[in-house]
Amino acid sequence: MNSLVSRFSTTGPIAELRKAKEVLGDDDEFSDAVWGSEAGFGSLANGVPKFSIPQVPDPSAFLRLHTDDHSDPSCRIKIKHGTTTLAFRFQGGVIVAVDSRASAGSYVASGTVKKVIEINPYLLGTMAGGAADCQYWETYLGIQCRLHELRNRERISVAAASKYLSNLVYSYKGMGLSMGTMICGWDKTGPAVFYVDSDGTRLKGDLFSVGSGSTFAYGVLDQGYRWDLTDEEAQELGRRSIYAAGHRDAYSGNTINLYHVKEDGWKFIGNYDVSKMHYEGPNGVGYGYDIRTEGRSSANPPATQ
Amino acid sequence: MPDGSFSHPQQRSFNPYTENGGTILAIAGADFTVIAGDTRQSEGYSIQTRYAPKVFRLTDRAVLAVNGFAADGNMFVKKVKQRLEWYRHAHAKDMPLRAIARLIQTMLYAQRFFPYYVYNILGGIEEDGTGAVYSFDPVGSYEREACRAAGAAQSLVQPFLDNQIYFKNQQAAPGQSHPLHLPLSDVLSIVIDSFTSATERHIEVGDGLEMYVVLAKGRSAQGLEGGRGVQELTTRTDGDRVFVIRRELKKD
Amino acid sequence: MTSFYSGPGFDFSNTVRNNFLQDRGLPLPKATSTGTTIVGCIYKDGVVLGADTRATEGPIVADKNCEKIHYITESIRCCGAGTAADTEFTTALISSNMEMHALSTGRKPRVVTAMTMLKQMLFRYQGHVGAALVLGGVDVTGPHLFTIAPHGSTDKLPYVTMGSGSLAAMAVFEAGWKPDMTREEALELVVAAISAGIFNDLGSGSNVDACVITANKTEMLRNFVRPNERVTKERSYGFRRGTTAWKKEQIRSLIVSEEVVKHGEAMDVS
Repeated sequence: MNSLVSRFSTTGPIAELRKAKEVLGDDDEFSDAVWGSEAGFGSLANGVPKFSIPQVPDPSAFLRLHTDDHSDPSCRIKIKHGTTTLAFRFQGGVIVAVDSRASAGSYVASGTVKKVIEINPYLLGTMAGGAADCQYWETYLGIQCRLHELRNRERISVAAASKYLSNLVYSYKGMGLSMGTMICGWDKTGPAVFYVDSDGTRLKGDLFSVGSGSTFAYGVLDQGYRWDLTDEEAQELGRRSIYAAGHRDAYSGNTINLYHVKEDGWKFIGNYDVSKMHYEGPNGVGYGYDIRTEGRSSANPPATQ
Repeated sequence: MPDGSFSHPQQRSFNPYTENGGTILAIAGADFTVIAGDTRQSEGYSIQTRYAPKVFRLTDRAVLAVNGFAADGNMFVKKVKQRLEWYRHAHAKDMPLRAIARLIQTMLYAQRFFPYYVYNILGGIEEDGTGAVYSFDPVGSYEREACRAAGAAQSLVQPFLDNQIYFKNQQAAPGQSHPLHLPLSDVLSIVIDSFTSATERHIEVGDGLEMYVVLAKGRSAQGLEGGRGVQELTTRTDGDRVFVIRRELKKD
Repeated sequence: MTSFYSGPGFDFSNTVRNNFLQDRGLPLPKATSTGTTIVGCIYKDGVVLGADTRATEGPIVADKNCEKIHYITESIRCCGAGTAADTEFTTALISSNMEMHALSTGRKPRVVTAMTMLKQMLFRYQGHVGAALVLGGVDVTGPHLFTIAPHGSTDKLPYVTMGSGSLAAMAVFEAGWKPDMTREEALELVVAAISAGIFNDLGSGSNVDACVITANKTEMLRNFVRPNERVTKERSYGFRRGTTAWKKEQIRSLIVSEEVVKHGEAMDVS
């Protein structure tokens, strides 16, 4: 306990040594933390980690040269892009639905990505843009939320958590982070959804969709959204919206992950195959195939009127 | 075009990356994992070496395959091994697989603004005794999967794996379902065929094949011990065990 | 009023559009290129030509056993490297013209004639026809060996190499070539040079093709050495009948059954 106190205290010999090291720039690449159980994320408890930066006049231009596949499809380091995510608030809580495709250029890099990041039992974050940026910083946010709980003896509000993330990514503005995320949860104010992106935008709202397939998802979402949706209706709306995006957007698809946040925390509802939804739907009635083919040829007449 | 004179503005770019070809893949079984890679290292149309390992044993239950820029890859493996050594000194045990996966994420993300140009696949046995594969992108996003191919021939091998491991686009026989996990002998055959096929159709793949097999504690090593070109890398037989199988690939 | 006249040579009307698309990040379709090793070597009685058999599209092997030694005349052959379509059509065109030339002069055409036709054509197209050639043959003046670069420049040498494996092959020639070799020595050297390309150059691979041309005989030794036989696969990948899912099944009989009714008197065919 004493060692813990001395490590975080601002006075005393260890703190003096630490200050001296900082002044001298003597701090090694790895602090003492990596030796112990803090190896890995533990070193993050001491504040925002350090990142190595290339020794060039314009580091973000360097990064852009090697990673940005929009302006240069032949660049070497491909960062995964392309997504549809949505979240909305309603009478029964928050519905979070996402697809599971990761694409690098025209190649489907993965069809099983978890784009909902479980920050803690009451908070969910969604992933759009750079997969690593979202995964890393939302896990980091989880650590900070836990520290908030320990310091304040109460859970962090969704507003505070999202603002923490927003402030953090804003401090890296222009460095090339790419995130478009929705922080969803339930706190003292009830269900809450905040949109946070790497430009620094932070919006409170009832309904958001982010990603290349968001326009398709909004199309379904907007026409079916009401505050007094039942739980089942709301889950079906989320699922149906991601299906629409998976069907029409080449960069979205494979499967749908559906979550429902209620007062007692989030619950994973299920994983649904987009093409199975097309032919069979969640309960035997296909979302798309039959209505697109019935009556289109004499070999396939419309069902009895 | 820079000409060395100062009469007009010139710009040179810092380009510390090259692509060294090759392919890696990993497949998880119920109580084993196979992690494989070819051994050719190339630049452009030239072969730099016919034997440069891309797959490395980290612990008795974890194996890491690294592909992309060889210099970054070798340095990265060195640093991962160093961190695992420190962990061993502090805790007197090996780091569990899922912890190694998270460690690799933080180590890659620490280079977010100056990335390691490497695609990593980590394979091994989880604490619960199941086979596991973790795949990473160059800046540390990762995911647990049942199988993954990366590198030059990724787009040739991954669709084959999707079809043979996940049974994608294959309807099961009426009244039957596809097996969740394949036996080791089937997985090894699929790995070998993946690499012989990639060698035939991709110019950067070939020379040699190294397949690491990690067996869960207590699983019989039947069919592996004493097999052609099989070598055991673990000394204890009462824990998880690591074997390596080496094969030749075409050299043209 | 648009012009319907199309001038001779290449049509450049899409270049502005294609450059625009390229700038917008849309890559142009890749032509199959024979990133190749091709060689030629003069010996006591004639010429030996050699080639590998790999054709590539970027890093992908497009053809594992293509033929890169093209026919010009009975005793003149030409190895092609570069854009596959260009080498194929250039040699075919010159082959036609050589035949016409032989017919109109009534003589066996010379190797220099083919060389001049090829270089004049390639120069006229200013390198846009991407053919790098090794031309060899025997005529009334003896054995001859040339290289022709895509822009039209030529070399006349006793041993030559071209393509992405040219350095590997030339290393073998520089180490092993000597004047007045026998047929066996020359063939062995050519095989060694092509093999060096096959194993050390990623753009070359598979088998060795060779062609021995003498004053009165031409031997095309297709797949002379096969050092890269395909290994047998560990498993067979046949699919069970019914593997592909379907939404509906419809069976139609394609047999037309027709009843022929005899009508009227049969024709008198006696």
